[in-house]
Amino acid sequence: MAKDITAIEVTDLNLNYGTTHTLKNISMRIKSHSVTAFIGPSGCGKSTFLRCLNRMNDFIPSASVSGSVMIDGRDIYAPGVDVIELRKKVGMVFQKPNPFPMSIYDNVAFGPRIHGVKDRTILDGVVESSLRGSALWDEVKDKLHSPANGLSGGQQQRLCIARTIATEPEVVLMDEPTSALDPMATAKIEELCRQLKEKYTVVIVTHNMQQAARISDDTAFFLMGDLIEFGPTDRIFTSPEDKKTGDYITGRFG
Amino acid sequence: MMMTIDSRNHIEEELGSLKREALYLAALARESINRSVWALKERDKAVAMEVIKKDDEMDDLARSIDQKCLQFLARFQPLGEDLRTVLSIMHMAVDMERIGDYGDNIAKVALDMSDQLPIKPLVDIPRMAQLFSQMLDRCMEAFDRCDVETAMTVFPMDDQMDDIETQILRELLFMMMAKTERIEQATQLLTVARTLERSGDRVTNMAERVIYICTGETVRASGFRRPKQEGTL
Repeated sequence: MAKDITAIEVTDLNLNYGTTHTLKNISMRIKSHSVTAFIGPSGCGKSTFLRCLNRMNDFIPSASVSGSVMIDGRDIYAPGVDVIELRKKVGMVFQKPNPFPMSIYDNVAFGPRIHGVKDRTILDGVVESSLRGSALWDEVKDKLHSPANGLSGGQQQRLCIARTIATEPEVVLMDEPTSALDPMATAKIEELCRQLKEKYTVVIVTHNMQQAARISDDTAFFLMGDLIEFGPTDRIFTSPEDKKTGDYITGRFG
Repeated sequence: MMMTIDSRNHIEEELGSLKREALYLAALARESINRSVWALKERDKAVAMEVIKKDDEMDDLARSIDQKCLQFLARFQPLGEDLRTVLSIMHMAVDMERIGDYGDNIAKVALDMSDQLPIKPLVDIPRMAQLFSQMLDRCMEAFDRCDVETAMTVFPMDDQMDDIETQILRELLFMMMAKTERIEQATQLLTVARTLERSGDRVTNMAERVIYICTGETVRASGFRRPKQEGTL
């Protein structure tokens, strides 16, 4: 995928939790090989929208979705879509690091194994390249078979990123990936985001506006289920077009 | 982390105090030009000395504003209009401090000329100073109230400033040609006219900044002024 090509095209997406209209007519084009940040106050729908991009809302029985999300020219909500394949293509990293209770190696090899990779040499290669890709390799290469739970919070989060990229996704979704981390660990993840976009399309939900301003190429501002403004980060944080965006980024509400 | 209403109050307070200091610096800049031109016109040495003394105060205030802007950026990491305001105040403080230097320059000319017999009564130079004051007043009013329309009215006034300067230049050239003894004083007056014209340019820069603060758009004053004519002085 080359730059400025659309990775994800969302058209008129609506989501209801029961009778609550949580996302209202969201349309958006997310550029390939870029970092796109979603910002907005709690409950604005940004995380819900992120979860729509790999159908994580399927797990919530009361959620119903309409509209389309095109990835690679296919609507991921079309009948017959293989959701497991989709989530391989669109990986996700969560707020709290959630390594599996197994070794570092097995955490990273988990995805490829599920997708049928058995060859030890191939697995070794995937584990190494994924850990290098998540900037964790140098710190763990001598203890790959130690339990993942022994790592620090920041390392665990980078392990989760390694686990996500081990299945060679096209898109990496991150839901507030640094909110449980200290500033140093946060800085590492932020730097990693910048590197990840070389190979993947990164979409990140963050409560930290300065973080969004630092690492993203484009920023979307959500408010009460509406997409208020979406555009280049350089513009959104200096001269937003919508007054509501301006009020939010200057802390007038939130 | 998300900001609360409390931190917004804190930001407003700090920004408000920065704005007040910028307005005060503008008042000093205005006074510096007006008093120095007065000193020149009235051959008043004492007033000229005062202006020169005051310049240090302006430099200190400009430096202190710069420092406070820096601290504001470090502490609040502002975005949007807050960011535009702080950044613009930093630029405007430089413009105002420079206007203070211009006043200082004019005051030095005033001192120099205070012992000489005037080659002519000064009319147009005080007019320029008056026009400069009006420009600065409008600009600061626009800054204080975030009023784009008022800021825009500054741009055409700079054309008037240029007109008066051209007129002064012509007049002095004729005077110099008629009598070479006038050259020294006429040259000094030319410098003053040029200095006042530059002060107007500085205010124009500041008006552009005010519009940037209010709208986020970068405007160029030249787009709102009459086109430059070929062959004019």
